[in-house]
Amino acid sequence: MKRNLLMNRLEHLPTLRIQPRQTLTIRYNGKNLRGYAGDTVASLLYGCGERIFSRSLKYRRPRGLYSLDGECSNAMMSVDGWPNTNAETTPARHGMVVTPQNVVGSLEWDPMGWMDHLAFVMPAGFYYKLFHKPARLWPLAIKGIRQAAGLGKLQPEATFDCRCDAIYPNTDVCVVGGGPAGMSAALAAAENGLRVVLLEARPHLGGFCDYRVRAEKGGMPLYQWVGALADEVRATENIRVLTHAPVVGVYPDQRITAFQRGSAADVFDLRYIEIAATSVVVATGCIERPLLFASNDRPGIMQIGCAHRLLHTYGIRPAANAVFSVAHDLGLEAAIDMHDQGVTVHCVADAREDGQDPQMLSALAQRGIPHWRGWVAQVAHGRRQLRGVTLSNLTGTFKKRIGCELLVASAGLTPLTGLVTLAGGALAFDHHTGFFLPQRLPPAVQVCGRIRGLHDPSSLSADGTLAGLRAAADCGLNLNREIARAEAAGAAAPGAVRGSKLAMAPGKGGKAFLCFDEDGTVKHVQQAMAQGFDVPELIKRFTSIGTGPGQGGMPGHNLPLVVAHSQASPDSDPQPTTIRPPLVATPIAAYAGGKHDMAKRTPMHAEQLTAGGRMERVGEWYRARRFGADPGAQDEIIGVRTNVGLLDASTLGKFRIFGPDAVKALQRVYVGDMTRTVPFRTKYAAMCNEDGCVIDDGVVIQTGENDYYITTSTGRAGQTVEWFRYHTRYDSWDYHMVNLTDAFGVINIAGPNARQVLAAVTDADISNEAFAFSTCRDLLLRGDVPVRAMRLGFVGELSYELHVPASYMAAVWQMVETAGQSLGIVHFGLEAQSTLRMEKGHVILGSESEQRTTLHDIGLGFLWCRTKPEAKTVGGAALRHTADQPGRLKLVGFKMEDPRSRAPRDGSPIVDARIRGYVCTARFSHALQEPVGMALVDDDLVRPNTRLGIYEDGCNGTLRHAMVVPMPFYDPKGLRMRM
Amino acid sequence: MALSLTCPICGLRNGYEFRFGGADKGPRPLEEGLTPAQWCAYAHLNTCVAGVQLEWWNHKDGCGTWFVARRDTRSNREVPKEDVQ
Ligand SMILES: [Zn+2]
Repeated sequence: MKRNLLMNRLEHLPTLRIQPRQTLTIRYNGKNLRGYAGDTVASLLYGCGERIFSRSLKYRRPRGLYSLDGECSNAMMSVDGWPNTNAETTPARHGMVVTPQNVVGSLEWDPMGWMDHLAFVMPAGFYYKLFHKPARLWPLAIKGIRQAAGLGKLQPEATFDCRCDAIYPNTDVCVVGGGPAGMSAALAAAENGLRVVLLEARPHLGGFCDYRVRAEKGGMPLYQWVGALADEVRATENIRVLTHAPVVGVYPDQRITAFQRGSAADVFDLRYIEIAATSVVVATGCIERPLLFASNDRPGIMQIGCAHRLLHTYGIRPAANAVFSVAHDLGLEAAIDMHDQGVTVHCVADAREDGQDPQMLSALAQRGIPHWRGWVAQVAHGRRQLRGVTLSNLTGTFKKRIGCELLVASAGLTPLTGLVTLAGGALAFDHHTGFFLPQRLPPAVQVCGRIRGLHDPSSLSADGTLAGLRAAADCGLNLNREIARAEAAGAAAPGAVRGSKLAMAPGKGGKAFLCFDEDGTVKHVQQAMAQGFDVPELIKRFTSIGTGPGQGGMPGHNLPLVVAHSQASPDSDPQPTTIRPPLVATPIAAYAGGKHDMAKRTPMHAEQLTAGGRMERVGEWYRARRFGADPGAQDEIIGVRTNVGLLDASTLGKFRIFGPDAVKALQRVYVGDMTRTVPFRTKYAAMCNEDGCVIDDGVVIQTGENDYYITTSTGRAGQTVEWFRYHTRYDSWDYHMVNLTDAFGVINIAGPNARQVLAAVTDADISNEAFAFSTCRDLLLRGDVPVRAMRLGFVGELSYELHVPASYMAAVWQMVETAGQSLGIVHFGLEAQSTLRMEKGHVILGSESEQRTTLHDIGLGFLWCRTKPEAKTVGGAALRHTADQPGRLKLVGFKMEDPRSRAPRDGSPIVDARIRGYVCTARFSHALQEPVGMALVDDDLVRPNTRLGIYEDGCNGTLRHAMVVPMPFYDPKGLRMRM
Repeated sequence: MALSLTCPICGLRNGYEFRFGGADKGPRPLEEGLTPAQWCAYAHLNTCVAGVQLEWWNHKDGCGTWFVARRDTRSNREVPKEDVQ
């Protein structure tokens, strides 16, 4: 019955931000709960009667709704599998699945609740001290603590369907805060023709005026006033408004990072924002300072803004009856509105002796609501939920207990100065406002509004306008007259409001929580101080107060106040703790971004799929591993060795390099002598890094005067141009490079019948005499398709590599397939290619080499020309120094002792008493009818017939044995590729 | 993230667009007669200046050029040419 009653929302309030006609349902803890479009998860749950939102970190105390802006971890829940999602800032969406966190049983009854009674053994710093000695207990202790502590559960197997995005806007002025001051600043800058980005953490503009109907500006209720301002802002073309976008950090040069949550109508769920601005206006306003008293964390105790916004923004009566303990006129206003919407307000305790708005006082009196000056909440009663409160005067001499469902408690306001500090500004405690106020500001940073202690709407608007003009001046506009006028207007408006200095209610401070996230109490602070900690910064570390998900937000002001209050000289100014980004808890996904997987497909992707190709990801490409069920691809291998095969090698890096100094650049980057190229002869060449480690191999072909065509391995294609330019950066050489990797596809026709296939598609003379091994020809296929053909021998057979303009690839592929049909041409993929080249002892960099492998180690030292020191070859010096270096892993070929056994797995370690190397690639060789492989082994194991012990995963210590043999395994004289 | 750099071709751009190429150590030494220690010093040792350092940067996501920038390593900000001396 109670629940039904609470389902009813106040539907006709002008300030509502929900759509009462648009209902939605979420799944919470196994129940279906109904809310409205515009609800947050928290407001929906509260509207459905949920009061306990979580259990606390350490003591497992029940916690309820306290703020509505995600300032503490009370409302952290798991939403659609995302742990630690703050229900207060997460819009409710139909079908959402929400579960509470940090609970063993249920929220109402948690078997770990007994932790609360152990509070006396968990004083400040207990974690550091209790389990410190003896050391052997530490692993046990840490295990228990880890199971009980921590917020939320990671789900490593979960996949999140989150649309992530990122934007990097440039702007003249960035205004942070969409309240009256921020909007006025944005308008002032925009009116002067500047581009403005306005960031607001809440889903809508208006700030602390958005839900207020009683106070007025110019005869207009505040919600109407800010509504009109917001309309004006949205109608201004040069203001870009980003709502639901809390700021995360500020960096030098006015760089601001934020993230934004999108609605269903947006193209993103989560968006990282990085703004480059010329000037920044900080108009972040205030949050409330929690009132410190015993059990101030009971569900049913909330801040003024929380209660007020539940009522006016979401149309929820927070309770049937309430007591207020406040220290600001905003509290009186909320009490009046609450009364007018049918909540019985028993009384308003006001920590201030004087200074109240007389209009508010008379409004309270008219409604018969008692207003007690100099009184404050001292103890909250009730266990799982609030049952009542004991109020007392400030000295604690008089007390009165009142039963209530709701206690609206607040010690005053505290400005959100995090951005100012991060931008490099300094803060100083101000005795009039009781705030840490910005003192020295860095260049091109302006502050305005409540952050400066102002409160009156006309002051906020004047201050915002002034800040907007100053920001415009930061951008280079001359606005001296306008600024002088705005300064005068600001001076005429009401100044900063005297703030409440109340540090804490009378009492000992036990269970008076400064920090809900970390269960840190006033008593913990006192314990830390008793042990000699006297600086808030250190007390923060020792007690972990303010280190939870809410960061310094809530305790950031109270901690220095309590410390100053408890110090011997109570007049000493409180010192703020340091603020660091992120200012708000930011989902990692905001940084990680969306799925960045941008795989490339060769022009032959579709054709290979049709031919039965099993595609897999190789670097950034999709390539065919094999064309059939056999993982060893035997049919493909036999096809190439005995007949002819067709391979798509389009992923090869392909470049043209030309210009008078092109050969110098080649000399610098390739280890061979590039001055000795013969036109249209392929030269196999390698590149090393500065350490002589081999990073790339390919062919270099001189195609004209000062004109070269080079190929690189697939993986290096992207970095090649940068590599050339880097290593010639001091030389001002005149050469140019064009990356042709995507402009050309590559078809490899390999096998003893390859010439027959090529002859069928070209009229050119391709006899062995006219087109010999190791040469290159530009041919026309079928009379008009230009291709560059090379005779290479990677797989060890007669082979032609056709470099074809990408747009002709499909046509040429089909031509070759058709020409080979009568011969029974086969498709072959990476698996067959890898086995074929391995039988030839040809390396694939990355398979037969790793980071530390030099050119000498894999037996390619002959590619290095040691007689060109004047070229200052990259890696040349290191190749000289390592040519005979002992103690290196060297590449060897091996056969298994038992030729009938299977090939060992790639990567298996080679061991005797210790690890001596590893297997690079090993396969069953069709040509030899036994397994063969290549391995990198210690240099004392390289002699033929050396016995190698191979350790395989799961071998249980039983080694398999192989013998070192000379390479290549197949056609050692290389006759077949020269046929 | 705070860094932004001025590419000589493209102008002031976000630091994400660039790749660091190490401190400016001058042209490559002559290979003839170079000892391993000298070589290693050129290739791998850095002075790690606390202050303004000349560095190579590549505008990898832009025009692709390598250029020398002046960066104050204490503030991680680029220092305009006229301010160096
Ligand atoms: Zn550029």
